[in-house]
Amino acid sequence: MASSRSVQTALDLLVLTVLERRGPLHGYGIANAILDLSAEALRVEEGSLYPALHRMEEAGWVSAEWTVTENKRRARIYQVTRKGKAQLSAESQQWDSFSKGVTRVLRLA
Amino acid sequence: MSWFSRLKNSVDSNALDEELRTELQDHLDRRTAELIEQGVGPGEARRLATLRFGNTTNLRERSREFHLWSALDSVVQDVRYAWRGMKKHPAFTATAVLSLSLAIGANTAIYSIVDAAMLRPLPVADPGRLFTLASNDIEQPGDTPGGERETFNYPLYQALRAAAGGSAQLGLFSYANREEARIAGASNAREKVTRQFVSGDAFEMLRVSPSLGRLFSAADDRVPGAHPVAVLSYDYWHRRFGEDPSILGRRIEVEEASYIVVGVVRKGFFGIEPGQFIDVWTPAMMYRKEAFTNPGWGWFRIIGKLAPGSTQEQVTARLQPAFHGHTESMLKRNPSIPPGIREKFLAMTLHANPAAAGVSGFRQTFERPLWIVLGVAAGILLIACANVASLLLARATARSAEMAMRVSLGASRRRLMRQLLTESLTLSVLAGGIGWLFARWAAPVLISLLSTEGNPVRFALTMDTRVLLFCVAVSTLAAIVFGLAPAWQSAAVQPMVALRSASGQAGKLRMGRFFVVVQVAFAFCLVMAGAGFLFSLRNLFAVDAGFDPHGITVLSVSNDLKEGQAAAQHLLMENLQRRVAALPGVESIAMAPYSLYGGSSWTDQVIVPGRPRVEQESVFYMVSPGYFRTLRTKLLTGRDFESRDSRATEPIPTVVNPALARKFFGDANVLGREFSRPEGTKMKRHRIIGIAADSRYRDLRKGPEPMAYLPLNGESYFALYIRSRLDVGSIVHMVERETQALGSGARIREVTTLETLVGNTLLKEKLLAGIGGVFALLGLLLASIGLFGLLNYSVARRTKEIGIRAALGAQRLDLIYLVTKDLIALVGGGLLAGLAASVALMSLLSSLLFGIRVADPLLIAIAISAFVLSSVAAAAFPAGRALAIDPAVALRDD
Repeated sequence: MASSRSVQTALDLLVLTVLERRGPLHGYGIANAILDLSAEALRVEEGSLYPALHRMEEAGWVSAEWTVTENKRRARIYQVTRKGKAQLSAESQQWDSFSKGVTRVLRLA
Repeated sequence: MSWFSRLKNSVDSNALDEELRTELQDHLDRRTAELIEQGVGPGEARRLATLRFGNTTNLRERSREFHLWSALDSVVQDVRYAWRGMKKHPAFTATAVLSLSLAIGANTAIYSIVDAAMLRPLPVADPGRLFTLASNDIEQPGDTPGGERETFNYPLYQALRAAAGGSAQLGLFSYANREEARIAGASNAREKVTRQFVSGDAFEMLRVSPSLGRLFSAADDRVPGAHPVAVLSYDYWHRRFGEDPSILGRRIEVEEASYIVVGVVRKGFFGIEPGQFIDVWTPAMMYRKEAFTNPGWGWFRIIGKLAPGSTQEQVTARLQPAFHGHTESMLKRNPSIPPGIREKFLAMTLHANPAAAGVSGFRQTFERPLWIVLGVAAGILLIACANVASLLLARATARSAEMAMRVSLGASRRRLMRQLLTESLTLSVLAGGIGWLFARWAAPVLISLLSTEGNPVRFALTMDTRVLLFCVAVSTLAAIVFGLAPAWQSAAVQPMVALRSASGQAGKLRMGRFFVVVQVAFAFCLVMAGAGFLFSLRNLFAVDAGFDPHGITVLSVSNDLKEGQAAAQHLLMENLQRRVAALPGVESIAMAPYSLYGGSSWTDQVIVPGRPRVEQESVFYMVSPGYFRTLRTKLLTGRDFESRDSRATEPIPTVVNPALARKFFGDANVLGREFSRPEGTKMKRHRIIGIAADSRYRDLRKGPEPMAYLPLNGESYFALYIRSRLDVGSIVHMVERETQALGSGARIREVTTLETLVGNTLLKEKLLAGIGGVFALLGLLLASIGLFGLLNYSVARRTKEIGIRAALGAQRLDLIYLVTKDLIALVGGGLLAGLAASVALMSLLSSLLFGIRVADPLLIAIAISAFVLSSVAAAAFPAGRALAIDPAVALRDD
């Protein structure tokens, strides 16, 4: 549970960061951006991004709406909400302190 | 995601699925396109894209779960939060749930009766095609206009059936009667059953099937007196015989005829009259033989079923000539009918009324009262809603700090409103559940109030889906009515204002005040209506009926002597009268063919030689010597009947009342004068030997009717009036011994008292007075609770202000005025609005009131003082609380 939770948190952090930096994106765009940032670090199936997006939407961290793209396709565009931004800063602080702690332990060990 | 789309998701998960599929497909398409651009072959690109993406079904499933579960989860969360809040304020919760459940229960109970009696279609196939025939009635002066005659005679029925041809089937259904039955083989005891005569095709027309044996057919419709078969209802078979199939072929004696049971109808069919459960059906052919040839015997209703494709208008048009032909031949046979009435007869037309919900005598009497009672119940519900709304408002004000906190922590207003509405819904669901149980108990009790021994009222009061839906709808509607305004106000809280000071929320009180005015106005109308109904009943009981019903036992007695043995019958009656009169404890005794207020009456024309004919008929009543003494109807002049009067030839010795004397002779002093009465083609002469005081012979609501008393003939069935101080049981016991000693099959058939009989004609008034009175009290109580809540809250809110004033030396009276001046204005405003509304209401109800004016000063005074008293009671506690405020404590506490 703890490990899946931390993977989840990591994925959430990545998605929120991407959305905050690059603005509104569809799922495919988010997936590509994450791959660009850390292709090897996150060996997840691309599809697993979607449940994460939907969960975050439900939690109110991201909002989504259907749009029609230039080539007349329907695409779902995600955007980070105010609540999502607050979550991002809280989570990244926690992540910081967590990773600092882990680093310290690793150094001392 | 909005609440609505969440709701949509949980209901319509197909749409959600479709969206998820589109989104995932979009990703796959883009990845494939990119791979192709990088030079991968199309088939390989798709394979790679899918591989990288993972299991789509699994993903879709996981995503769906988020949407659905989180919706459900937050609802559960809201309900749990609401439940915690309710537990934390048990007094509030109890008050709200109790008043709501009473109101919802009352509405559901009354609706279930309205539904069963008036709205629900008969449990037969195609009820929409059923109709009943009626003609406009000949109006007698004093009758309510628009009366209908639904009763038909056999010769006319035959003519109509022939005329209808294939356009409709016409079934004959006699008026159901309580009759004596004896089951061969069982104990020889007689029991009462409800019996109806029906034509042979009646069951086939209704498409009612047997659950055992056979039902009637056209073959049972041939020869009068030759079809001694009977069909039982499932209910009776179950109740009386434990569903024993060996009932087929057994003999059952109903009244004097013996029948063989040939079948049992299917479960759930009670007849065509809601309110009546038929136990035994017998073929119409088994009715008295003279009824088949004599058009003077009206004894049944006609219920028809339209053939597919034909309409009621077409059928009535086909039947009209037959109906007129029948009227014309009737007039030809009765030349004595005066021309004015002839014209009215000729103007009569036949029409068809829809009968999908059956026909009902109960409905005629109770339709209006039941709708009114339902309206009153709705009024109670509104009061209860206003009451709970103002309680919620007060609570919302107390919770404004909490709400402000949640808003500033990022809760959306919509979320808060949803939370608050969930609380209201939880309240109303709880109240609806209790109300449902209450209704299940109350509905049968209400019905039993309307039921009499001679005319038992029974409904298929299954608390079915229709009633359940009504209960749910009422509860939900109530929750929205009382929950919306407080939720709106709470959610619109301004965090800055609310957090800065806990007081100063004037807006909320304004709405609370409005609810109090509404409650007072509605409750005032209920109190006026309730008091109106109660006083009507009292006025009816206080009417001088012209006889004294107290202390009179009425026994119906029959004998086995055949018709035509009038002399022997008369001798038997005289002997019985002499023997009973000699019994100890019997003050006096009299006899008549049927009792007053028993539903029977005989009216005929009075013709005075040399004076113009009067169309209105007068009441004729045959009585034995001693009648006026026993009933305590004052004999003004002349003499009472004597035994020899029965054998007197024309002119028949007759006693009349002043109403008849004035109307037909224009003079009160008519002793020794004569008048005639048409009998067939002949005239009977009457000589007036006495004048007895006016009396209300069949209806306390109507004034005294012109009335003529005749000497009694021999009867096979008659009523015995016994005035005695003894209780009914011992009278029956003593009279039974005498009837046995007399022989000739004389025996007691019915036992009642004159008071009961008179009371049974006031069931409608009793219903209205009972329910109206209870609801008036309930309305008053609820309005008082509302007042109390508002006042109590306002004292709590102003503790500091009151403390300062007390510290500055305000007198006790000033403080009381300070906290109650609001109340005085509110109650005053509510009463004014209520007074105006009640005048409209009372004029609407005037036909159901007796001796009450639309703006009756006595009623208004009583209602107002009731409100003043209850307001004082409601104000007493909060005012005491205000007086008890200690300035030092109040100022320190903030």
